[in-house]
Amino acid sequence: MSASHHPAEALLVDYASGALRGGGRMVLSSHLMACPACRDSIARFEAVGGALLSALPPATLHKDALALALARIERPVPPAPATTGPIAGWITTPADVVRAARDRRRWAAPGVWVASVTRGPGRASTYLLGVAAGMTVPRHTHRGAEMVCVLKGAYVDDDVRHAPGDFAFNDDSVDHRPGITAEGDCVCLVFTEAPLVPRDWVGRLFQPLVGI
Amino acid sequence: MNTPPAPRGPDGATLSGLIVRIAERGDREAFTALFSHFAPRVKSYLLRLGAAPEAAEELAQETLLTVWRRAASFDPSRAAASTWIFTIARNLRIDLSRRDGRSPPVDDPSMMNDGPSRPDDALGAVEDEARILAAMARLPAEQAQVITLAFYADKPHSEIAGDLGLPLGTVKSRLRLAMARLRIALAEPPL
Repeated sequence: MSASHHPAEALLVDYASGALRGGGRMVLSSHLMACPACRDSIARFEAVGGALLSALPPATLHKDALALALARIERPVPPAPATTGPIAGWITTPADVVRAARDRRRWAAPGVWVASVTRGPGRASTYLLGVAAGMTVPRHTHRGAEMVCVLKGAYVDDDVRHAPGDFAFNDDSVDHRPGITAEGDCVCLVFTEAPLVPRDWVGRLFQPLVGI
Repeated sequence: MNTPPAPRGPDGATLSGLIVRIAERGDREAFTALFSHFAPRVKSYLLRLGAAPEAAEELAQETLLTVWRRAASFDPSRAAASTWIFTIARNLRIDLSRRDGRSPPVDDPSMMNDGPSRPDDALGAVEDEARILAAMARLPAEQAQVITLAFYADKPHSEIAGDLGLPLGTVKSRLRLAMARLRIALAEPPL
């Protein structure tokens, strides 16, 4: 199974250069883990980074830099941090996402759970959103950018199906009410630059409960 | 943009070979050669991105230490030495900004053991660097400018658009066109 909705190339360049950080990087990472085609693009963009690195004029190092490096490589290797296994039925995600799902999941409304992964910078927020089969997210739009990667299940937005690994980028030009398909519950990793803007009374009721 | 100077010092195949020697037998002579070539360039890269001299020096040290420890995961058929070391420096830089409390850690799928598969290209990735630099030199100035800002100024495309006073769509299409040309250059027959 491979993803059918991909990030814009400019976003892949931001990832490769390192300019994309934080929650946005996590969402894109989750897509990349599921998408060999975009990993392939990233590898090529990283090759551009490597070539540009090679082309730089060398800077002057401290006079004892090499001696220090040769001493450091003799030191014992610190133990690797404990790894977190994937969650059954989900696509592979960064370890922080798995930890959030295990430790910070809370029911926000019947059939809806959220787990905050990280907050910031500013009003930005990264969270997991789990919604039961057949439910519809109330109509809303966005202030600033939103990035979504489906981790489990599927939703339909404007007649387009988004399945595990699929990536979506939404902004204030999008006014939508994504619906979860009947097959089962759907879990998404979401990064928003600012809280959602509800577009109807259901949404206005829903937002304070869910806190997104 | 000025044409980047041709890389000096050992060629790509030699540099990849140094990493393989480190992986296979902990070769300190190979590490010394690799350090002498890359540590000053990694420091130069970090200085360009605005790091303080002490921080750039320390990150260059950390980068080459990571090269030593993870040498076994380097696959010379999939990435040039410079590309692999670039990703290590980039990831350490992101980790460092996280420790400053700004963003969370991210596992890096680009470190997953695959990448471009080019079974027809026996030389693998070692010639990529020369091809990319040659193609960069042939890019229209406006395309080279956005690539340079992305990689040498650490700017996301949205910020590049703001800095240049250009619509977002223009920056996105310049990046896309530039990357398409570089992609074609990578698919060319060996130099």
